[in-house]
This record gives sequence, structure tokens and C-alpha cells, in this order.
Amino acid sequence: MFEVLEKILSGSGGDFADIRYEVMQETAISFSGKELTALSANATDGYVVRALNKGGMASVAFTKQAEAGTAIKSALENATLFAKNTAKPIRLAKTEAVQDTFSPKLGEDPRQVSMAEKMELVKKYNDIPLAQAKVVNTAIGYSEVHRRKYYLNSEGSRIQEDLITTSIRGLITAKEGHLTQNIRVGIGGSDGFGSIRGQEQHFEKQTKLVLDLLQAQPVKSGVYRCIINPSLAGVFAHEAFGHFSEADIIETLPAMRQRMKLGNRLGSGILNIIDDATRPGQLGFYKYDDEGVPVRPIQLIKEGVLVGRLHSRRTAVEFDEPFSGHCVAEDYRYAPIVRMGTTYIEPGENSFNDLLQITGDGLYLLDAKGGQTAGENFTFGANYGYEVKNGRADRMVRDINISGNLYQTLMDIKAVGNDLELSKTGGCGKGQTNIRSCNGGPHIIIDNLVVGGI
Amino acid sequence: MEKLLDMAKKAADQAEVYSADNISNSVSFQDAKLYNIETNFLSGVSLRIIKDGRLGFAYTRNLIDRQELLNNALRSLEGGVEAPYELPATTGIKKIDTYDPTSKTITSSELVEEAKRICGVVESKTTGEIMAVAFADRDSLRILNSKGTDVNRQSSIAGTYGSIIFPGSGSGIGRIHQSKRFDRMPDVLINEMSSLFGKGRKTVEPKGGRMKVLFMPDSMITLLWRITSGLSGRSIYENISPIADKMGQRIFSPKLTITDDPLNDNYPLARAFDDEGVFCKQLTLIDQGVLKSFYYDLKYAKKLGVASTGHGYRSGPWGGDPITTKPGPFPAHLFIKSGSATLAKLISMMDRGIIVEGALGAHSGNIPNGDFSVGVSPGLYVENGEIVGQVKDAMVAGNIYETLTNVVELGDTLYPSFGGAWVPPLLCDGVSVTTKN
Repeated sequence: MFEVLEKILSGSGGDFADIRYEVMQETAISFSGKELTALSANATDGYVVRALNKGGMASVAFTKQAEAGTAIKSALENATLFAKNTAKPIRLAKTEAVQDTFSPKLGEDPRQVSMAEKMELVKKYNDIPLAQAKVVNTAIGYSEVHRRKYYLNSEGSRIQEDLITTSIRGLITAKEGHLTQNIRVGIGGSDGFGSIRGQEQHFEKQTKLVLDLLQAQPVKSGVYRCIINPSLAGVFAHEAFGHFSEADIIETLPAMRQRMKLGNRLGSGILNIIDDATRPGQLGFYKYDDEGVPVRPIQLIKEGVLVGRLHSRRTAVEFDEPFSGHCVAEDYRYAPIVRMGTTYIEPGENSFNDLLQITGDGLYLLDAKGGQTAGENFTFGANYGYEVKNGRADRMVRDINISGNLYQTLMDIKAVGNDLELSKTGGCGKGQTNIRSCNGGPHIIIDNLVVGGI
Repeated sequence: MEKLLDMAKKAADQAEVYSADNISNSVSFQDAKLYNIETNFLSGVSLRIIKDGRLGFAYTRNLIDRQELLNNALRSLEGGVEAPYELPATTGIKKIDTYDPTSKTITSSELVEEAKRICGVVESKTTGEIMAVAFADRDSLRILNSKGTDVNRQSSIAGTYGSIIFPGSGSGIGRIHQSKRFDRMPDVLINEMSSLFGKGRKTVEPKGGRMKVLFMPDSMITLLWRITSGLSGRSIYENISPIADKMGQRIFSPKLTITDDPLNDNYPLARAFDDEGVFCKQLTLIDQGVLKSFYYDLKYAKKLGVASTGHGYRSGPWGGDPITTKPGPFPAHLFIKSGSATLAKLISMMDRGIIVEGALGAHSGNIPNGDFSVGVSPGLYVENGEIVGQVKDAMVAGNIYETLTNVVELGDTLYPSFGGAWVPPLLCDGVSVTTKN
């Protein structure tokens, strides 16, 4: 394949060019209630070229090899147009040329498992909630995505890397009278099919929870001291802070960039956040980003102080900071952008019981249900929660959405638990979807969280 | 494609070949400086076959090996996904005007110039962090099926997006302009965005409670997502729509009329047939608050014993890739009927309330039930008919089946919004707002 890519790129001219070709195999199996609604296995492929010329840069994605000539020409023309319209030429951080072929170690290769067996497994999990009379619907699906990426650039890098992501995820909906409640289910990872076998307990637990939610009270809206569980702490690290450690987000927001200078205090002294996609066996694992740069662990917050940032080669120069290997694309339809890999709050010292005592009166909120950031404001939902009274978890509450402010909320982290869990399924949408976006943390306490009920 | 259809017809009872090409160009300016130029050429072919009432689905980007694509579809059949419906025999589709030939000749340079112009105009009016995007897309689509249907269309959509970010906050006031033909963003949009931005510079900390809320086009996703969920044939079939048994009843305020009008080619992306080759038609969903119709694709129509309303689309709320996505019911051309009030008039009608320019977390919560609970991003606080400043960390919550019975008035202008909808600003009363105070 590299010969073909080399040939496509050879006519590019310009100061720098790279090309990524991907073959993507996708398997999908979905159930809606008892009914199988999808089952397919397909392969698609495509290319992305980027050209840098005289300080201007442009990208072209295309799917037909016959269009390669047009694509390269168009990338170069647009790069030149860019150069004419910018006062500040783009430069790329100097990195080593890499030649490597990498395929991750898998605990059972999903491609070796038959479609029939995959379907049986999904059906088995799906039948767990459906056995309950009050469960009115499920939407549960298996997804397997295998991307083989070929990356080549004009500086001599040639990298082939496989990314294999499997998951079973969805929603269980239960109803009693006029009240409908739902809860998310999700298992998976990037280390093979083994991670989704033997997960009956997860579906049993979620089924019980959604039935319990039918008996729960809506949360009373207000401002609370909250314990949030690792799933929510992860989304919090991702939404409330993580996006602003992506250099391309704050690069062109001068006021935020000023507030996000390395060395600035952003959080309380007990807060440590790291991005470490190199941890093996977890969802966010990869070796090279889509600029051919090896990903490295980046300490983002150390004892409340901002100490690092995630970069592409372009933003590393712009910020005069070390490149980090975080320039990643969803697939062959997109040019890469700066993305978090595996962002998590590092564990602290408190046991869960300590956290309950410290909270006194407040809420204990569990399991993320979507989150979103726009600038300093973020919001995310919790699947369920409990009132905390006198240091004890009390009655269950439902319909929980939290909103907060980046600068304020990180300061309001009052205690950090001594456990750690990382997410098993991803799906961050920053223009493109990243199904391997991984986050996590321990149980933590946050003060002054705005909780909106209904 | 004909060859693929012939092969598929021999192997199955029914077959459909869907072929699409997309070319898109976009440039973006961030902080009023050129940041990105991107081009996409995406093509693909998707095959649906039906045998013994079961569905086989397969797709590829490059139709090189027809037999392999057909084999993938045949393997997919083995799963037993039900397909009880008949593909349509569609001939003599209505001619509608969806393509502007100038979209073919528009250059990246012209896009750069327009985005630069927008930044310049905004800079002359106010000081914020200015973002602008200019884009031009062309699509072609052809659907062939074993019933003899052979329909195709070419379409173009081009436009601009401008926004002014409140420094330090990252959230801002934005407006979109789009049409079949690339043209300049109208001054009225730039002025509106600049004026609202100017009034929101000051941060205020009002008390929460029940108050008036003005949903602007960018935050209407909050309501539209839940409305489209409740009206979907799929939700009816899955027994999760709270309005399944309310046909003919008043479920919203009499001020609210919602139609789906794919044939209206004054707007971009009009359609004469859906992604299953079924004729499109105008469909009134809500008439002065009264539930008039649900919308269906072939599958859910058949399951419920009705006819498809021509709403089988290979994309959902977030767009989606038509080649790799199976058709499902979606109202891709929603219009909420405008009212008579200018934006200024709507604001003057608010004794106390919040203008929600953008909503965070519209995708969270119990959507089928109609519940919403969103962060404002940004929100402008109004007292005695005047904007007094921006409110931060506020959440607006409710249930559409309650909130939309309390519509005070609708704006007189339609704006592009979520999932291809065109909507006016919508003023509701008695909506729950939580703030830090």
C-alpha cells in the first residue's frame, strides 16, 4: 500500500504533505426490544491528504483513488490560498520520522468470532432486561470497528497501525403508569472480544436500577454538595476541563488562552489530572496519532496547577510547548484534530466512607448520561442518584442534570477518593466522533453544583 | 449500478441500490483569522435486498467488486432482520428546484473573502472573539430498485455561519445563513448577532424560579428533538411516545403549527422523494396545537398498518452518513409556523425571563418522555422588556408537553435549526429556571 501512497504524494510539491489511507471494517448488530433491527458487516476505505506550503495548510478527504490527483492539487492550491491570507505562517513541530507496523495485543480477536456467536451474546444480554414486565423497550447494539491505518508523510514516516474497538451498548426503558425512565448500558474496550464476554452482571444491575428509578423521586433542583462516582468524575474531567486542554480549542480564544496559561492555578490543591493513552488494555489506547507522532502521557493538572496541554504538531509550535501525539481523526473522512486520549482524575486518599462523612448532607450522583461543553460552561446528566443525609446515602432520586463553570467547579473539588475506574465505551463528539475517547477517575466531592430537576 | 441491481434481483425478492456523491468545501476563520480550509469528496454505494421478508444491508465506498458487496448483503440476510414492506414503484416524480449551477464554480477564494468580510463587519460593530465559516456543498443521489424505480436528484447548499464569543467564556451568539446558492450573509443577521452580543457583555446573577423563556434557533434543538421523538412512527411502534393515543387532540398551544414540507424548494435541500424512493409530500403534524399526524418510513408504516409518509431518511438528528446508515423515520424538513412578533417585540413582552441563545445537554435526559434540562450557553437575562446582561450557570428545565402549552408568541422570521428544521424564535411562559442564587 505504501508504494501507492508514495506515488500519490510524489506529485504534491509544497513544503510538506502527508497522506492517510484507511480500511475500516464495521460490524453492527442491534436489537430494539425483542426485534433484531440490524445485522451487517462491511468494509469501506478512503484517503486524507494534507499539504503545507509557504505557511498555509489545507486538507482534502476523498474516497476514490481516481480522484487522488485532483485532491492533491486542490490541497496544494488551498494551502497556497491560505498562505496569502494569513499574517502568521503555520509551522509544524519537528518530530522524528517513524517507520513502524503496530497491531495491539487482543484478548480474543473479535474478527475470529462468528457472526452467529456475536448475535447470541447480544441477544443473551438483551433478554436480561426484557424478562421484566415493566421494561417496555431496549435498544442494545454490538459494534465492532477495525481500522487499519496507513500513514505516510514527506519527511519519511511510514506507519501502519490497527485500532480495534468493540462494544455492546444501549438503553433500557421502563414504564409504570405515566412515568418512563431509562438507563444506559455499556461494556467494551479496545483490547478484544474478551472484554464483552461474561458481563451478565452489568445488565442485571442496570435492569434493577431502571426498575428502582420508577419508584424514585425527581431530584429537587438547587445547589448541592455532591459525591460523584468514577463514571461521572470521568465525564467531569473530560467536559469541565479536558476540552480546554485541547490546544486547538483555546488557541483562537485569546481570553481563555490567557486564563489557561501553564502555571496558572485552576483547581484545588488535591486535584491531579493526566491524559495517558499509553496505559495498555484500556479503551483509549493507541501508539501513533494521525500525524504519525507517538502519543505520550501528559500531566495536565498537578496539585491544582495547569502544567500540560494536548497538541498537534501545528499547535505545539503555536504555543511553544512539547508535541504530545494527540492529533486524531474519526476515520478516513476527516482530517485530524486535537483530541483527548485517556483523561482521568488521579486517585487521592479518601475511602468512600470518608467521602460520605465529609459530604454530610447532599447528593450522591452516579453514572454519566451525556455531557456537553461550550466554553466555560458544561452540563451533564447522571443516570441516578441518592440523597445523602448525615453522611448516609438515603432515598433514590432521578432526572438529574448538572451544570457548572470550568473555573469555579475545579476549585470546588473538596475531596478525592482512593479508587479509580476508566470508561469502557466512548463517543466524544467534537465535530467528529471519537469512539475511543476514554475518561475516568475516583469518587470525588464537588461543592456548589447546580442541579436542575424538572 | 444497473448491473449490481440485476445481480441482486436474481439473488433476492426485492433489491435497491442507493448511490450518493458529495463534494464539500469549507473555510473557517477563528478569532477573525483564517484557520482551516477543508475539502471532501465522498462517494459510496449502498445495497438493500429483501428475501422472504428479511433484510440484507451492505455498502462500499468503491464499487469495484459487485459480487463481494452482494455477498455481504446476503450474509446480512441470515440475521433475520424483518423487512415486511414492499419497496415503492415510483415514477413521474415532481420536478423541484434543488440545485444552483453556480455552486459548481464557487472557489475557496470566494469563501475566504466572504468569511473575512463577515469578520470585518462584526469587528466594526463590537469587540468579541469572532468566528466565521463559509461553505459550499454539492450532492448527487440516485436510487434504483427492483420495482422499476429510478429516481435521482442533484442538490446544492451553501452558506455562512458567524458567531461572536464572549471573551473568557468560549460561548457566544451565532447566526447561520444558508441557501441553494452561495451569497453574502444578510446585514440583518450580522446586526442582530452584534446587538445581542453587546447587550450580553455584562454578567448578571438573577434569582431562579418560573419565568418566561425565549428559545432562539440554536437552542430550539432542545424542543425539536423531543417533538420529533414523540411524532415518530418508530416511537409509536416501540410504545415510547407519550402522545400515541392523542390523535386529534390538542397537545400544544393553539399558537403552534408544525408541518413537514419537503417540496418547498424556496429552501435548500428540498426533496421530491425520500431515501427509500417514496414520494415526498407536505404533511401537517401539529395544526394549531392539535395532533394531526405522525410520520413514517416504509418499515414502521407497514408494522403499524399505515402508508409511508415519505420520511425514510438515511440520517438522523446529527446528520449521519447516508451510505452506511439504514433508512429510518425522520422529518428532515420541519417548519414551525412563524408568528407576528419581531425579535424586539418578543423581548419587550418579557417581564422577567431568559433568552436561550444556545443550549447545553439537549441530548441528555428522558427524551421520549419530553423532559429537558439544559444549561444556557449563553443565556441573556431580561427584565421589564430589556436585556440586562448575560446569565451564567443557569439551567432551564421542563417537559415539552407542558412547556409548549404555554406559548406566549412566536417570532416573525424563520431561521435554520436542528436537523434541517426552519423555526421562529419561540417565547414560552412559566418555565423553570435554576440559577446559583
